[in-house]
Amino acid sequence: MSWMESIKFALSSILAHKLRSALTMLGIIIGVGSIVTIVAIGQGGEAALKSQFAASGNNTIEINFIPDSDDPFAMITDELPVFTEDNIFQLRKIPEVKHVITTNSSMEMLMVNEQSISTQVLGVTDEFFAVNSIEMKRGRKLNEADFSQSNNVIMINDGAAQELFKDSKVIGQILEIKGQPFEVIGVYKSAGGLFGLSTPEIIMPLTLWPVLYGTDDIQSVTLQVKDISQLELAGTKAAKMLNDAKSPELEGKYEVLNLEELQKSMAGITKIMTMIIGGIASISLLVGGVGVMNIMLVSVTERTREIGIRKALGATRGNILLQFLIESMMLTLFGGTIGITFGAAGAYFVSFIAKWPPLVSIEVIIGAILFSIILGIIFGIMPANKAAKMEPIDALRYE
Amino acid sequence: MISLKNIFKSYIQGDLDVPVLHDINIEINRGEFVSIMGPSGSGKSTLMNIIGCIDRPTSGEYVLNGFNILESNEKKLSMIRNQFIGFVFQHFHLLPRLNALENVELPLIYGGISKKERRKRAQEVLAKVGLADRMDHLPNQLSGGQKQRVAIARAIATNPSFILADEPTGALDSKSGEQIMNIFTQLNKEGTTIIMVTHEEEVAAYTPRCILLRDGRITSDMKRVFT
Repeated sequence: MSWMESIKFALSSILAHKLRSALTMLGIIIGVGSIVTIVAIGQGGEAALKSQFAASGNNTIEINFIPDSDDPFAMITDELPVFTEDNIFQLRKIPEVKHVITTNSSMEMLMVNEQSISTQVLGVTDEFFAVNSIEMKRGRKLNEADFSQSNNVIMINDGAAQELFKDSKVIGQILEIKGQPFEVIGVYKSAGGLFGLSTPEIIMPLTLWPVLYGTDDIQSVTLQVKDISQLELAGTKAAKMLNDAKSPELEGKYEVLNLEELQKSMAGITKIMTMIIGGIASISLLVGGVGVMNIMLVSVTERTREIGIRKALGATRGNILLQFLIESMMLTLFGGTIGITFGAAGAYFVSFIAKWPPLVSIEVIIGAILFSIILGIIFGIMPANKAAKMEPIDALRYE
Repeated sequence: MISLKNIFKSYIQGDLDVPVLHDINIEINRGEFVSIMGPSGSGKSTLMNIIGCIDRPTSGEYVLNGFNILESNEKKLSMIRNQFIGFVFQHFHLLPRLNALENVELPLIYGGISKKERRKRAQEVLAKVGLADRMDHLPNQLSGGQKQRVAIARAIATNPSFILADEPTGALDSKSGEQIMNIFTQLNKEGTTIIMVTHEEEVAAYTPRCILLRDGRITSDMKRVFT
């Protein structure tokens, strides 16, 4: 007898008792669903961590100055945190580092048409554009000449264009920042920004910063490495170098986001979650599996006469065994498939709340399907064997 | 074709060994139409089950088409039932969720016949028993007589060595019963061997050979000539 026939018989038998089959699958659905959810959450969390580290895949890492938390005044000192020109010079010497992106930022109130508009002003170097892809809507980006000659030119984002110029002709307009006139040369698209709204932002050459603010200290440093695998190494080297060079008055230390530590604490959380959900899943699978076995035993008893007829017509033990085994496998396979759907939905829900990428990989789905089929075999073999071993004469006489 | 020698059969009931069949010796040849008669409890059903290879005698020898049945294993017995024997039961024993055509195809599936071939054969035999227009009916949409005709079609679909019918008219009204017996008679005329168990005289009257059983022994085995 072919597999197709066995599958057809199994299907018709499952469909003949729809409610019973559905209830039997419940345990498998919950079990497989929970497993898919935890695996997906675990993988999603890991991916979230990696992407956080390698900010959307451009191999960058930010260096922060963390003031000593014991010193309550450290936080409010204006001069903190800073990087000196020499610091930057040293950082460039780290072999793994490709770019050192230095940026300063400040909130400014700009007076336009007797209205003051709060605007984020960013001072960047040309390396900023090597790492951040910026999409221009109008005009041009800052170019090499702008940086080297410290031209009084700025790019503004679409939010700023809207707020400051009400979307009238923007390019070539003059804007006054801290008493200095700047020519607007381009409008770029804001990176984030919910519903198209974005805070006004202005980008200017960093070389103009000392003129406006009277200091050449750098506020923020981001490293870009050549390869993502070097990220941690470069980060550690940079932090050590900066800490060695910092003046003793500075209370605190330079740090990079530590991947290992984060992974550890992350693993700690997911471990507890895995244990809880895994516990529910295994109990549910065990109960579900026993449920399948129980229903299959009932089914075998109910169909004793059918087994007798089939045997009288020439069915071998193998035929009968296969028929019932396929039936239990299809029960668990259907349950597993529904479970995968619910599990994936659960994973998407959790990742939506936790704001990390949902990850239901094809491996997880294939694994769960195979696992379901194996469950069907494990819990179906005993009832199927019972059916196969029936004597045709007893089975035919069964009332 | 069928050779039963010194067949004994007893059942264990508690501590008691209850004998059912004593020293049964029967030879049945190809093309015969035989009825096995006897009152209830005479052991005729047991004898039929033994001939049908769904029960084993306690001792004796049973040779069917050269196969020694007592020495055959489970797998070989399945093959023998499938290839050599066509069962017709008193209560039809059709599978309720399969339609007439699918029921007739069942033994062909176990015989490993291809889908196309078995469909063709099932349609042929159903037409032969006069059910060409009922092929897609489920058993519960058929009358008793029609059900039994499906069962006969199922029995002859594999082209078996013989049909083994257990009270084939027992659950039918007399008119349907007559129809069934006419089909059997026709099949026998075409060369099919039929062995039928019954306790009804008038049904047994259709068969040229009648074996009488009483208390597990053969009391008569006579042939008559119809004119």
